[in-house]
Order: sequence, then structure tokens, then C-alpha cells
Amino acid sequence: MILTVYCWLLCLYPGSYRDEFAEEMTQVFHDAKSDLPPTPAAKISFYRREFCGLLAGALRAHFDRLFNPANSSRRFHMQAQFRFPRSTVFLMLVIMAGVMLTIAKASSVAGGTLGSAWSALLSLLVWMLLSMSTAAALVWGILHTLRRSGVHRLDNVQSWMRSVESNGNR
Amino acid sequence: METFALSEPVLLVLLSLAEQPRHGYSILKDVESMSGGRVLLSTGTLYGALQRLLDHGWIERVEEDNTPRDRRTYKLTSRGRRNLQMEIRRMRHLTRVAALRMPGKEA
Repeated sequence: MILTVYCWLLCLYPGSYRDEFAEEMTQVFHDAKSDLPPTPAAKISFYRREFCGLLAGALRAHFDRLFNPANSSRRFHMQAQFRFPRSTVFLMLVIMAGVMLTIAKASSVAGGTLGSAWSALLSLLVWMLLSMSTAAALVWGILHTLRRSGVHRLDNVQSWMRSVESNGNR
Repeated sequence: METFALSEPVLLVLLSLAEQPRHGYSILKDVESMSGGRVLLSTGTLYGALQRLLDHGWIERVEEDNTPRDRRTYKLTSRGRRNLQMEIRRMRHLTRVAALRMPGKEA
């Protein structure tokens, strides 16, 4: 049961990360779980550490992939960098739900005096959605133009040049 | 030295691999033992650190034909060993400075 939850949480990681590490992580989790002392406190502490570590690791992997692709060049190809992973959308929705819950809680604590804050928040969300859609369409247009111009093939040329150089050094 | 933040878990992972090549669970247990049970890595933290170290070329996988995919072994590269030695020198220097600045207390 708990292993199923763990595997499900691994889906929050980017696909390439999962391909590379998911099997190992599952095995290490299984080994560590088998080695646990049989006390409830130890089990609770272990599961809390593991699930918090997974969520933090997934967030970090997505941020690395989106904002620091140079460090991830070992695994990610140029084309793959432009794909927005579905798990990122899920994480963003979770974060947004957390923010909404916090605002709702604050509103109830303040006795409904924040009612106008809801309309302000909604208009802000609509504005953010519109501006993000425009930005996404713009970026997509630029990338589409670049792809049609063949710039993305530069990555293949550079890999080819590196392989030629390494063959020459042998 | 290369610009790469060496947090305590990452440093302990490197020290664990400095002794001998190890697989994930072995690193986890060794880190726990080295830190006297103070640092308990989760699998998410461990593989995040391993991923960054692989990206920077400080560690590499030991390529063995008969190793299953879920139990791959990692080892320190020469670059990783060199950078680890530099980090240890930096820490030694820091400890010496701390001992001089706080002579009455244990540094």
C-alpha cells in the first residue's frame, strides 16, 4: 500500500528524472522500510521524512529543469526543454489550492471583512491567466519560428562536433 | 574550486563515496552512521544530491553488466575527489581560524 503511494508520488518528478532514478529510489525506499525499527514513532518519522523529501525533490527537479537547463544537459535534449511537464501543472494547482485555502481561512478568522478581497483576488487571477496565456502564445510563436528556421539542429551539430573531437583525440 | 554549493548532506554523500563505490541504500546507511544518526537522508534528498553530482561530473556510475537497474553503484570521479579535498582543506582552515578566535572553547 505505502509502496504504491510512494510510486504514485514519484510521478510528480519530470519524466526523464523518473526514467533515470525511479527504480533505484523505489528499491532504496523498500530497503529502508524493511530496516525500520518496529516502533510507531520511527515509522511516522520515516514516512514524514520520505514524503516531504519526495515533494521537495520533485519541486527542485522541476525548477532545475525549467530555470537551469544548462546543468541538466546530461539528460535533457534541446527539444525536451520546451515541453511543460504535466506534473508541473499538478504541482502548481496544489500550490494554488493551498493559497486559496489560506485566504479562505484568513477570511473566516477576520469574520468576513475580507469579502471584497475575494473579488480582488478573482480579478487578479483572471488578469494573471490572460497575461500568462498571451506570454505562452508569444513564446510558442517564437519557438515555432525557431524550429521552422532549423536553429534547433545546432544542438545536433554541436554533439556531432564533440564526438568528432573525441574520436580525433583517441 | 568550482561553484557548487556543498550542503552537509552532499558533503556526507561525497565522503561516503570517497571510501569506496556504493549503491543508494549503502550511501544512506553510511551517511547515517558517519553523522551519528544526526543526518537521516530521504530517498528524494539522496537522489537529488546524486543527480546534481552526476550533472557536475563529481561522481559517475560504475558500469557493470550484471548490475540490476534498481541497484546501481556510484563512485567518485577524479574531479570529485579533487574538489572534495579542496573543500576539506577549506574546512580545516576554517576550524583553525575558529580555534584561534575562540581559544577558550572547543572549536
